Amino acid sequence: MNNMTPKAPLDTAAGTHDSGEIRLVGVTKKFGNAYAVESIDLTIPHGSYCCLLGPSGCGKTTILRMIAGHETPTSGEIYIGEDMVVGKPPVERGTAMMFQSYALFPHLSILDNVAFYLKMRSVGKDERRGKALEMLERVQLDHLKDRMPAQLSGGQQQRVALARSLITNPKVLLLDEPLSALDEFLRLKMRGELKSLQDELGITFVHVTHTQPEAIALADMVVVMDTGRIDQADTANTIFNRPKTPYVARFMGGQNVLTGTVEANSGGAGKLKSAAGSTFEVKLDDEAAAVGSQLSIAVRRDQVAIRRGGANTSVGVNSVAGIVEATEYQGSYVKVTLKAEGDEFVANVSDRAYFAEPVETGDAVVATWNAEDVHVLSKVDTGGASASYLEGGH
Amino acid sequence: MSSASPSYGSRPWTFYVLALLFTLFVIFLYGPMLAVLILSFQGPSASLVFPLRDPSLMWFDELFNPRRTGDVVGAFNRSLPLAIVVMVLTVLISVTAGFAFRRRFKGATLIFYTAIASLIVPGLVLSIGTIVTFRYLGLSASWNTSGLGAHLSWALPFGLLIMFAVLGRLNPSYEEAAYDLGASKWQTIKEVVVPIVFPGMIAVALFGFTLSYDEFPRSWLTVGSKNTLPLEIWTMTTNVTSPALYALGTVTTVISFLVIAIALSSILFIQRKRSRGK
Repeated sequence: MNNMTPKAPLDTAAGTHDSGEIRLVGVTKKFGNAYAVESIDLTIPHGSYCCLLGPSGCGKTTILRMIAGHETPTSGEIYIGEDMVVGKPPVERGTAMMFQSYALFPHLSILDNVAFYLKMRSVGKDERRGKALEMLERVQLDHLKDRMPAQLSGGQQQRVALARSLITNPKVLLLDEPLSALDEFLRLKMRGELKSLQDELGITFVHVTHTQPEAIALADMVVVMDTGRIDQADTANTIFNRPKTPYVARFMGGQNVLTGTVEANSGGAGKLKSAAGSTFEVKLDDEAAAVGSQLSIAVRRDQVAIRRGGANTSVGVNSVAGIVEATEYQGSYVKVTLKAEGDEFVANVSDRAYFAEPVETGDAVVATWNAEDVHVLSKVDTGGASASYLEGGH
Repeated sequence: MSSASPSYGSRPWTFYVLALLFTLFVIFLYGPMLAVLILSFQGPSASLVFPLRDPSLMWFDELFNPRRTGDVVGAFNRSLPLAIVVMVLTVLISVTAGFAFRRRFKGATLIFYTAIASLIVPGLVLSIGTIVTFRYLGLSASWNTSGLGAHLSWALPFGLLIMFAVLGRLNPSYEEAAYDLGASKWQTIKEVVVPIVFPGMIAVALFGFTLSYDEFPRSWLTVGSKNTLPLEIWTMTTNVTSPALYALGTVTTVISFLVIAIALSSILFIQRKRSRGK
């Protein structure tokens, strides 16, 4: 039957603009008795670039594989466009997946790798090779068509994998840590290429990563995950500047999390007293925080100023006193890590401000910020000094 | 330690020990083979020991036109097909079993150890057991029934172990990628899995062939009244006292080496094709 198809699937699929909206409803995946993913609800709009972000083991890859059809959810529903896709093979879903190691077939030339999908549909040799060559031209690798995968560099392999996925004309492209196998230079280059490719194609991209800068740079929508649950799904800007939970604030890396007891709350302004005795002013808009309750706040690292101060000098409001643990020159700024309030506190000081009054490891300093730069978290911090992998590098 | 002189990578004493060991190994392996090879060209003096006098091919002629030696050609005509059948079955069964074991099923470990156990059972014991069972069942032993079974019990575990190693290195994402690109289960096996593991399958075939072709203990009682080649050689050592014995040794060794050469060169060919492109 396949030999008869006059039209290549390449053209037919392009004609129908199905929606690439992905909807997960109450999706749960258990491996044995352990939950990899626990009752997740998530809608990824059509044509968006979505990054699933979280540490390893948080379930982000499991979600991707369930959307792809390589894993079946234990319960729940997955929709792509209007179709409920659980139980359907990938091609019927309109998804294509790019594997972490690219999984290029080692025994086939680049051209035949890209033509593989058409071969499976019994498209004739000349026709499928012609189409594959067009696809290779799009990723500027047509001159390497007769090479074997092992002869290509990492970046070239990735482009071949992209071409091989895109020849299926997917509504949704799923990328499993696509940049993790590349060196730093290539990673930034391919990151840009992925973004412009998505702009050009207008299809939905779902990209799994554990690297915060990657997610922020690429995504229209960042989904931050923690052990099988979604902590926050929002735009990159919101995730970075207005994290909901202490976990997200810490994971995104740009924030310091502080916790205190509400001492006063009137007229939209509140006062917190930390366990170490410091006082923080916060704007409490509609967050009802009863006097005496615990509240966590976040302050961006680059909105903190550092000045020298003895341990016994008065600290003042919106400040913490601490000892410098490390200074790290980052070019445009200096990352100053303090031990304050029994926890790590980081200030990213502009290089000009830093070198005007440099501080050394072991110095007693006071870190200060403005009340309007404080962001109130919706959950009280319980994690304290969390695992070191949360360290972001901002 | 303060006076430690700088080292520029001189060889440790273990290097010389291992080099000596390896030299001995090579002498023991190839020395006898070489002696047999040379003496198979012995002249009409029919001496079984060095020196070689009046080199000739007469003992090869003797081998294929037997007057005093046994049925060498007949034995070869049984051993070769038997080895080929064992080879084919070993590849088929090991590969399919290897795939089955990739997905852990209930009782997999038990079945695995049961299969591997036949490597531990002494071949002669297995030979006796096979013939006793056949007699009890009223079946007559023959090279292509009981002999085949006994050989498979030897070749299969090796094939299985090789396939485990080969499939253990096969990244499951190749199969997932094929599924992602619309390949059916059968297409995935035919177009992706088999081509990737093909060198491993050749290794299994090689083992299947040589293990059967050279097998003595498991052939001893199980091949029935007509001998396979190793049994024929053994018989000859007891009643033939001419260099025809050496000629036979040379011919069988050459055949074994040919099989290995074919197998290895086909693996090399595939690898070269893969790394160079077409």
